[in-house]
Amino acid sequence: MRIVGDATRTWALLVLLTLLSMVTGHAGFHGLAGSGIVLAACVVKGRSMLMDFLKLRDGPAGWRALFAGWLVLIAASAWIAPALSVLRN
Amino acid sequence: MLSDLPGHPMMWVLILTEIVTFGLLFITFAVTGAVHPEVFAAGRAQLDPTLGGMNTIILITSGWLAALAVEACAAERRRRTRLLVAGAILLGCAFAAVKIAEYAAKRRMGIGLETDMFFTLYFLLTGFHLMHVVLGIVILAAVALDASLESLKTGTAFWHMVDLVWVVMFPLVYLVG
Repeated sequence: MRIVGDATRTWALLVLLTLLSMVTGHAGFHGLAGSGIVLAACVVKGRSMLMDFLKLRDGPAGWRALFAGWLVLIAASAWIAPALSVLRN
Repeated sequence: MLSDLPGHPMMWVLILTEIVTFGLLFITFAVTGAVHPEVFAAGRAQLDPTLGGMNTIILITSGWLAALAVEACAAERRRRTRLLVAGAILLGCAFAAVKIAEYAAKRRMGIGLETDMFFTLYFLLTGFHLMHVVLGIVILAAVALDASLESLKTGTAFWHMVDLVWVVMFPLVYLVG
């Protein structure tokens, strides 16, 4: 019997990535790089939740691709603001 | 194809609708932020990212308990299943309490729905999500009473969607810009 299952490992990863995002935001580490780290963490968190909480790991590949596409699209759109501010300066 | 997913297929139709709706709201928020960076930077500076982060950890932990409840139900451990769902519900209530406290703090600062574009979208997005949290709590309570594996998978699927939407909303609203 496994002591720590997929859901518990995912929970630990999600908490860690949330703390990393909070520290990155708190340290004032904004701009393209800071936003990139926070948004990449967000995509990894979303994907882990879909795979191990919603159990899409065992589900149809089309649904996995759909949700992954949704996550990446949102993260990319959120990156527009910092990218534009770099271009403006 | 819907039948290959955990829980009732109709729940997945609802989840897909919600994901599309929240997706459009997120893109609207991001594009408006790119067009009005000063308004968004000033608005974001008045938010408390620690409260937002705390609520993320609360909801993630609630989602984890819900996932463990499905495993416990599959192993026919009914008491453990009920306790885990109750824990998920309690944490859902804690999320709502923190959010309401956050709204009250904004109100004391004189910030409301019509303060500026940032706060209109902030209240719209987080308020719409809070309504889903409340609905999710009701659904979890209903499936806990029923306690069949299929109902539990259906109810927790909705709860994980609510969790996922917040995990995406937190960096977008509180951190990135």
